[in-house]
Amino acid sequence: MNTEQLQADIDNIRAAALRELEEIESESAPDAENASRRLEAWRVQYLGKKGLLAQVSRQMRELPKEERPRLGQVVNEAQRVLQDRLGRARQRVEELALFARLRQEHIDVTLPGRAPARGTIHPLTRVITEIEDVFLGMGFSIVEGPEVETDHYNFEMLNIPKDHPARDMQDTFYLTEELLLRTQTSPMQVRTMEKMRPFAPIKVICPGRVYRRDEDDATHSHAFNQIEGLVVDRGVRMSDLKGTLEQFARAIFGPNQEVRLRPSFFPFTEPSAEVDVRCTNCGGRGCRVCKHSGWLEILGAGMVHPHVLNGAGYDSREFSGFAFGMGPERIAMLKYGIEDIRLLYQNDLRLLRQFSSVF
Amino acid sequence: MRVSYQWLSEYVDLGGVSPQALADALTSAGIEVESVRPRVERLRRVVVGRVVTCGPHPNADRLKVCTVDVGQDALLTIVCGAPNVAPGQRVPTALVGAELPGGRISQAKLRGVESQGMLCSAKEIGLEVRWLPKSQTEGLYLLPEDAPVGADVSSLLGLDDVILDLSLTPNRSDCLSLRGLAYEVAALLERPLRFLEPHLGDEVLDAGASPVRIELRTPRCPRYEAQVMIGVAGGPSPLWMQMRLLAMGVRPIDVVVDITNYVMLEWGQPLHAFDFDQVRRGTIVVRQAQPGERLATLDGQERVLDEDVIVIADAERAIGIAGVMGGENSEITASTRRVVVESAAFDAASVRRTGQRLGLRSEAQQRFEKGIDPVAVRGALLRARQLLQELAGAAPVGGVVCAEQERPAQPPLLDFSPRRANQLLGTDVAAAEMAAIFRRLGFSVQQLSEEKWQVGVPTRRADIRLEADLVEEIGRIHGYDDIPATLPVGPTTVGMRTQAQRLRKWTRETLAGLGMNEVFTYTLGHPDQLNALRLAEDSFYRKMIPLLRPMSDERIALRTHMLPGLAQVAAYNLSHGMTGGCIFEIGRVYWPRELPLREQPLERQQWAGLWFGEQAVRLWQAGRAYDFYDAKGVLEAWLTSLGLGLRAAFVPIQDADAPWLHPGRAAGVWIDGQIKVGTVGELHPETAQRLGIGGAVYAEFDLDKVDECLGGAWKAQPLPRYPAVRRDLAVLVPQAVSSAQLLAKAAQAAEQAGDILQDCRVFDVYVGPGVPEGQKSVAVAFTYQSDERTLTDEETEAVERAILRAWEQAFGARLRG
Repeated sequence: MNTEQLQADIDNIRAAALRELEEIESESAPDAENASRRLEAWRVQYLGKKGLLAQVSRQMRELPKEERPRLGQVVNEAQRVLQDRLGRARQRVEELALFARLRQEHIDVTLPGRAPARGTIHPLTRVITEIEDVFLGMGFSIVEGPEVETDHYNFEMLNIPKDHPARDMQDTFYLTEELLLRTQTSPMQVRTMEKMRPFAPIKVICPGRVYRRDEDDATHSHAFNQIEGLVVDRGVRMSDLKGTLEQFARAIFGPNQEVRLRPSFFPFTEPSAEVDVRCTNCGGRGCRVCKHSGWLEILGAGMVHPHVLNGAGYDSREFSGFAFGMGPERIAMLKYGIEDIRLLYQNDLRLLRQFSSVF
Repeated sequence: MRVSYQWLSEYVDLGGVSPQALADALTSAGIEVESVRPRVERLRRVVVGRVVTCGPHPNADRLKVCTVDVGQDALLTIVCGAPNVAPGQRVPTALVGAELPGGRISQAKLRGVESQGMLCSAKEIGLEVRWLPKSQTEGLYLLPEDAPVGADVSSLLGLDDVILDLSLTPNRSDCLSLRGLAYEVAALLERPLRFLEPHLGDEVLDAGASPVRIELRTPRCPRYEAQVMIGVAGGPSPLWMQMRLLAMGVRPIDVVVDITNYVMLEWGQPLHAFDFDQVRRGTIVVRQAQPGERLATLDGQERVLDEDVIVIADAERAIGIAGVMGGENSEITASTRRVVVESAAFDAASVRRTGQRLGLRSEAQQRFEKGIDPVAVRGALLRARQLLQELAGAAPVGGVVCAEQERPAQPPLLDFSPRRANQLLGTDVAAAEMAAIFRRLGFSVQQLSEEKWQVGVPTRRADIRLEADLVEEIGRIHGYDDIPATLPVGPTTVGMRTQAQRLRKWTRETLAGLGMNEVFTYTLGHPDQLNALRLAEDSFYRKMIPLLRPMSDERIALRTHMLPGLAQVAAYNLSHGMTGGCIFEIGRVYWPRELPLREQPLERQQWAGLWFGEQAVRLWQAGRAYDFYDAKGVLEAWLTSLGLGLRAAFVPIQDADAPWLHPGRAAGVWIDGQIKVGTVGELHPETAQRLGIGGAVYAEFDLDKVDECLGGAWKAQPLPRYPAVRRDLAVLVPQAVSSAQLLAKAAQAAEQAGDILQDCRVFDVYVGPGVPEGQKSVAVAFTYQSDERTLTDEETEAVERAILRAWEQAFGARLRG
């Protein structure tokens, strides 16, 4: 037995062991249990007390003394490499075993989640809130007032005296001679001016329920919502009304919206206008929704009538203002393609649950 | 209002202006045209035919075979089924190839006889049969004897006309007449007017020669004029007049009534003609009715009048209701010799009230109540006189008699400044254009200086009273499209919600986030809906404010309570395939201070929630009914989000507080033990059953009260520096002891024994095997912590013993082994 031969043996053992280890690793990939068993056998075969490396060490005794330390280093080196390699192989096997186990535990990720279902906000309040936010952003405040109004605020102060034909425009639910369910949110124009005078500017919107003696059908309701707007200051122009409503229309109906004013009549504004936006359904080309006109009427507006300004304590020679009133039901119907106003008050959960997204 | 394009074009030149272009111009000037439709959709090759012979059909009893002269060389043979066909008649005859609203006419054999066309009824040629008397709509439509044979029926009857349907705003009563509308059209299109004014001027008021005297005894009739006519021939008005009335939607009646209606459509001035020989002592008295005075009106109804009503009377009795309807006692009959035609102005508000009270709404009344042009009173009367002479063979007896309280008001002169007009509109319209617009409208303009104009407005435009009205005319005629879009230039303002508004918005979003669906219900309901609520007879919830005149049987009063509305939604959804749901509404209830109502009621903002039926079956859990704790969990999360979580207590309620709730499964929600902000509980089984929704949990909160409880500013607490110790205890206590009682007692005992108890909460309640009858096992988790030191076991055990002792003394609690 000479040194060279022994060194060659050691190298051979080391190479065989590594080769075998790779085999074990590659062959037993899915079966972690089998792999650990074979690794253990491998360890006993090469690194065990009676293993091949141990046997080689024992043969070193036959070598000349001065040769032994060098060869001992070779054996130790081989042992260290194999140990190290074994450690990594075991880790690998454990990883495989874990992966295999986790794969076993798979779930159906396509099943629905368990968190409580979110509820929904009613399409009407959704639209009202959206409109409020647009005007809040333009510096308007929100005011609210009574639904049971006096004839004084609902009509007289708005330039609609008793027995005036304009009262026909709004058939009214009376509670007593003098008390009624407000037919419009416009009384808040006067209430707000009376409360704020002589402060200017006034910039408010007033959302709320109103009532009219209309038969309920697809487009009429005895009760519905309105959002009133009022701006009073020195030098307010009708063009400011148009610009403000254009901002509103673009925020609610899209950036390319246009508004069109058409002359109209309301007793409490002069000049008065109906306000149209480009049809939201066809974009203005003309369709069934807009009766082929390309335009949709969405609100009434005008410059606050001098009688209303003066009556509420703002001298019409010094102040001017604009006011508008819109129907959130109509806007919700246009926006969401709801064709019957009664659906908004039917509260069918199958409809309401469609409004679960915030955007 | 229906308007005949052809008739209108008599008063203003519409050459080259199509009906649609006219409609567009009117609409963009604020006279909304709702529709533009041909008077008859399709009518070609229908001519006047004269029935020459009329014999039986060989194969059909009900058909006749006629020969008809249509102005061609040969007579046509036409089979006709109308029972009223007879030789000599002139009837609309559809030739072969004719197009009718109902279809095309082709040559056809009818029961073996060749028919070369069709004899037509009113309906078949598209006449407005709803305004024709029955005699003219049954069978063939008979044309007058002077109808030229072979003439085109469509142009003869004006069926080739186009009808514009105007939706007028109440201020534009001037457009309720063709002449008024012509002024507007002339101004809009810059076209000349061409009124065919009869020779009306230079009328000498020869009251002496007239047999009628007029006495005005009420200020509500500023002006009354009358003309007596003699020798009125009865019978129908000429065909052209009938056709014009029909085109405008007015029923032809007889020549006198038709003339008054015709003049009303032309001038906007309602006229009334009645039998002068029934006017006793030849004196017309205009006065207010005596209370209880009776009059049978032309519609055959006996009317009881009051002082508010203006009546036309003679020296002895009422003979008509001014502006609304004439009386039977002065109706024109076949034996009428002399007719008096009335043209007057009456107080608009009074006519309106009278019409409303009597439930009448005639064309005349609609014009009076919106105000008529005082200048037209005379013109219309003279026009009627002219037509009566021409068409009814009548002769005037004397001249027009006029009684007036005041001269017709002179056209007002209004101050106007072009600069202010541009300032208000935000436009830059030249002064010269403004002056031109006024002139086109027939307003006079005096330019006193560049800044000061005086504009004279004709009496027909009573809607123009202020400078702002003139500004609207400028904007309207110049075109609103030319108003630019600008933004207000004043100081910047801050827009934000008030706390109450934020509370509502946050509540809505939180509840939706917690799985609830917002609903929106009507606030008008019926007091019977409260019957399910087990309310005491005198409960204030029963004081629903009633409507004076409800529209329907179900919606007659304002809600005082939110539950009925929500229950209706629940019932609807349960009957539409839903197994349950949780819904809420934020809205108002209306609580009168007293009934009958004297002042505005309280309008309280509430939110109410209803958890009904079963929770939706989901993959992970079996469906189960909602219970109290489902609702309470939502309420706790909501209260916590408002900063009220620790200040709120759920306290068992007394039955009388909320009789609609299960007395053992309901709580009042109190803030700081002081303010009750709401209630929550399972519905009382009787209530649930009567509402028809099965078991459900209902909660309601007064948001105005919650708003008052919301805290102000607060600061973050420093983090603890020493560890917390958690220890659990399970004790047996009688069933009646509530967890709130246990926790309160524990907190009290702990505080005395050393202030280290930081939190305690119930985490389990058990009743069953191992627990004695009438008892329950309650497990409580305690958290001890000090901000000065790490706690020792001795310290926590001492407090624990104190708690157990206190529980034992108070509730007989025993530690559960």
